[in-house]
Amino acid sequence: MERFDVAVIGGGLLGCFAARNLCRWDASVLLLEAREDVCTGISRANSAIIYPGYDHKPGTLKASMTVRGNEAFGRLCEELDVPFSRCGSLMLSYGPKADAVLRLKYDRGLQSAVPGLSLVSGREAEAMEPCLTPGVSSALYAPSAGTVNPWELCIAACENALQNGAQLSLNTSVLSIRPEQDGYRLITTQGDFFARAIVNCAGMQADQVQRLIFPCDVSIHPTSGDYLILDRDAGLHPSHIIQVEPEDGGKGLNAVPTVEGSLLLGPSERENGIDWSVSEAGLSFVRRFAGQVFPGFSEEHIIRSFAALRPNPQRPDGSSIGTFVIEHPAPGFRSLIGVKTPGLTCADQLGIYLAGETAADLRLSPNPDFFPGRSGIPRMKRLGFDARCKAVRQNPDFGELLCRCEGITRGEVLEAIHRGAVTLDGLKHRLGAGMGPCQGARCRQKLIPILAEALGISEEAVTQSGGDSLVYGGADGTL
Amino acid sequence: MEHCELLIIGSGAAGMSAAAAAWKAGVRDLVLVDGASAPGGILRQCSHRGFGRAVFGSEITGPEYASFLLSGLQNTGVRLLTETEVLSVTGNRRALLSSRTGLRELGFQRLILAAGCRERSIGSLPVTGTRPSGVFTAGQAQELLNLRHRLPGREILILGSGDLGMIMAAGLQEAGAHVIAVAEQEDHYGGLARNYHRFLEPSGIPLLLRTTVTELYGSGRLTGVLLRQLDTGAQTHIPCDTLVTVVGLIPDRTLVSGLGSPDWLSFAGNCHHVHELVDSAVAEAASVGRLAASALAASKHDPDIFPEVRGLYR
Ligand SMILES: Cc1cc2nc3c(=O)[nH]c(=O)nc-3n(C[C@H](O)[C@H](O)[C@H](O)COP(=O)(O)OP(=O)(O)OC[C@H]3O[C@@H](n4cnc5c(N)ncnc54)[C@H](O)[C@@H]3O)c2cc1C
Ligand SMILES: Cc1cc2nc3c(=O)[nH]c(=O)nc-3n(C[C@H](O)[C@H](O)[C@H](O)COP(=O)(O)OP(=O)(O)OC[C@H]3O[C@@H](n4cnc5c(N)ncnc54)[C@H](O)[C@@H]3O)c2cc1C
Repeated sequence: MERFDVAVIGGGLLGCFAARNLCRWDASVLLLEAREDVCTGISRANSAIIYPGYDHKPGTLKASMTVRGNEAFGRLCEELDVPFSRCGSLMLSYGPKADAVLRLKYDRGLQSAVPGLSLVSGREAEAMEPCLTPGVSSALYAPSAGTVNPWELCIAACENALQNGAQLSLNTSVLSIRPEQDGYRLITTQGDFFARAIVNCAGMQADQVQRLIFPCDVSIHPTSGDYLILDRDAGLHPSHIIQVEPEDGGKGLNAVPTVEGSLLLGPSERENGIDWSVSEAGLSFVRRFAGQVFPGFSEEHIIRSFAALRPNPQRPDGSSIGTFVIEHPAPGFRSLIGVKTPGLTCADQLGIYLAGETAADLRLSPNPDFFPGRSGIPRMKRLGFDARCKAVRQNPDFGELLCRCEGITRGEVLEAIHRGAVTLDGLKHRLGAGMGPCQGARCRQKLIPILAEALGISEEAVTQSGGDSLVYGGADGTL
Repeated sequence: MEHCELLIIGSGAAGMSAAAAAWKAGVRDLVLVDGASAPGGILRQCSHRGFGRAVFGSEITGPEYASFLLSGLQNTGVRLLTETEVLSVTGNRRALLSSRTGLRELGFQRLILAAGCRERSIGSLPVTGTRPSGVFTAGQAQELLNLRHRLPGREILILGSGDLGMIMAAGLQEAGAHVIAVAEQEDHYGGLARNYHRFLEPSGIPLLLRTTVTELYGSGRLTGVLLRQLDTGAQTHIPCDTLVTVVGLIPDRTLVSGLGSPDWLSFAGNCHHVHELVDSAVAEAASVGRLAASALAASKHDPDIFPEVRGLYR
């Protein structure tokens, strides 16, 4: 049985950042993920906003971590070589009730030391964002808000952890956990592991994973939400993140100009879901709302709709919990349960916190060799002419374009596979292949043979996202 | 930096036709570039007969049509660069080209964009449910079947009765798949009558008019779709493992999207507007090529012309 100091359960944003930060300590770290790749759970679908921190009650862990996480985000993304756009956000009000909410958020923001926060008039907001429907009554401007590609960030954190010696075990589901002398035995689909401490970041299953060995008062109640994406050429390009505080106090809307250049709209809120299905009501909510806020919104430019899952934490009496739930049922065992927004903003901060606490339990000393930097896959479209020429000269694969929408070359695809992509979604999450206007219609069939060859499998065995998501007709697909 | 007089992007039917016409009209410094490994564009995957009635008077296959157009470029000095993708075009008339042999800038005087069109994807429709694998555009299914000799699946529903939908319905059935039906939201099939009579009608595949797909099922691979009859509202769950979509073609002008409409730029073929028949794309592109040639000739400084003009006013 392999022995580790710490086992992290779950390769989502929280687990990958926990693993990364555990490497700051002199510890052997194992990251266990049930699926074929990291970032395939809750983390794969969210609003991609790096929140400024005015939404939460001042003095709470959530408020302070969000402000700190936001402030550190620029450096984090530099370290991890991930594009980050600190575009700022405008939260809009169209009436007196929402005006009052914005004033409350403004006051909270000031108390939490959110930098640069200001309340602006409707006219100022409309001047800052000419694409808005006129009639804005006031807006809360937060220059520190930003956006990042959550997939790239999550994968970067995982790669950085691996560079620092962590071990990743994919396709590994934790089935049960037993106490052992000085630690725990994890019984998984890939055999048993011993760990002195466990950090449980199992996302939607985090409550159940804790119950494998300890009681857990908090339960996760899943709901879902729907999003729409508009393509780059939609002509609708707010330069800030636009958020709407509705006058009736209901669900608002986010419009996020993503780092890829598309516009992300959503999410809707619904009660029904534990699956990833998009609902009709949710889609029409987002469409209607977007049409109200942006006169230039046109359904012609929608290129995709998708659903996200929210892990809502609840007490035994069914009441919901607004704070971050960090359970600590026994020494050396910690669970993050039901972390939703702003879990992306706080992922690294939560990781630092969990790693620090676990290190104290185990009396670990700092790791002097920890290296915070990671280099991303060399992206041809982000290089200047000379650098790109040089890259192609060194490796002709960087000259061969495969994806026209996102400008992806064979060299980048091979590198993504080398770094762990085993499915089409794995390539999408690492490179953006299939995210552009044609949604993979032109590149998908070029990527499949490359994946198959590199993985040593048949083209019929290539999947979209693991499991039975075969792309071609299955083993008998060949004519 | 290298230079040429006329750059044509895309060597599909339109690009080749424009190149041949421009050469014939006197352009001698002409580059035709395509990211694909061979010229022909969409024709390469259209292995059915049905092309070229107007131009050749007989019906040939797509690849035959493409080689015919290519033969028109033989013995000309048109420089054909395949496996060379144009990454960007700038307002100061430079194109950035990428291939395995390197990156280079190419200056030009005029540009004909003949980059074809792209297919709208299912993502653009208000379809609910999961996002499983097993959903193909008709172009993908056609390429898979005709160039890679594979079936996209076994139990197939086709959404959209444009020409491509009807052609693919018959083609997939012939290749051994079970094509359940072709669903069409309008009250009449979308493509040409002759394609209906040649492909869909004899296949016996049901054409469901005023019907669309509203929901997808399956957590991994597609397991079924929900069909809605638009007049009655009746919904039917159809088990299937594959959905082929034919929901629209969009001229692909991404390369010049930020450039406005400079006088040195023209469009040919499906990049100009979507052509139902290759013959019309070829005919239109030939005139675009000819016009580009005369625009180039007109802009040439002919030193002898000035004394001549001056003479007119003496
Ligand atoms: C709709 C929505 C929008 C959001 N928007 C934002 C935003 O704009 N800004 C922001 O800051 N935050 C946002 N968030 C929050 C953020 O996305 C989440 O906090 C974060 O993704 C949670 O990640 P996770 O690691 O807990 O979960 P996951 O990504 O689900 O990771 C858990 C992993 O554990 C694995 N696992 C489960 N059980 C086992 C087992 N037994 N053995 C092994 N592995 C197991 C799963 O396969 C999964 O990969 C949003 C959240 C939602 C839901
Ligand atoms: C699937 C399908 C089936 C059809 N069936 C029939 C039929 O049965 N009968 C009939 O008469 N007509 C048919 N047509 C119509 C006709 O064949 C087409 O209209 C015609 O072939 C289009 O030619 P094109 O040159 O405009 O575009 P395309 O053939 O699409 O050529 C565009 C070329 O541009 C290249 N390109 C694009 N962007 C770049 C770039 N950035 N850098 C380098 N190269 C680039 C592409 O690689 C491609 O080779 C069909 C059309 C389609 C789409």
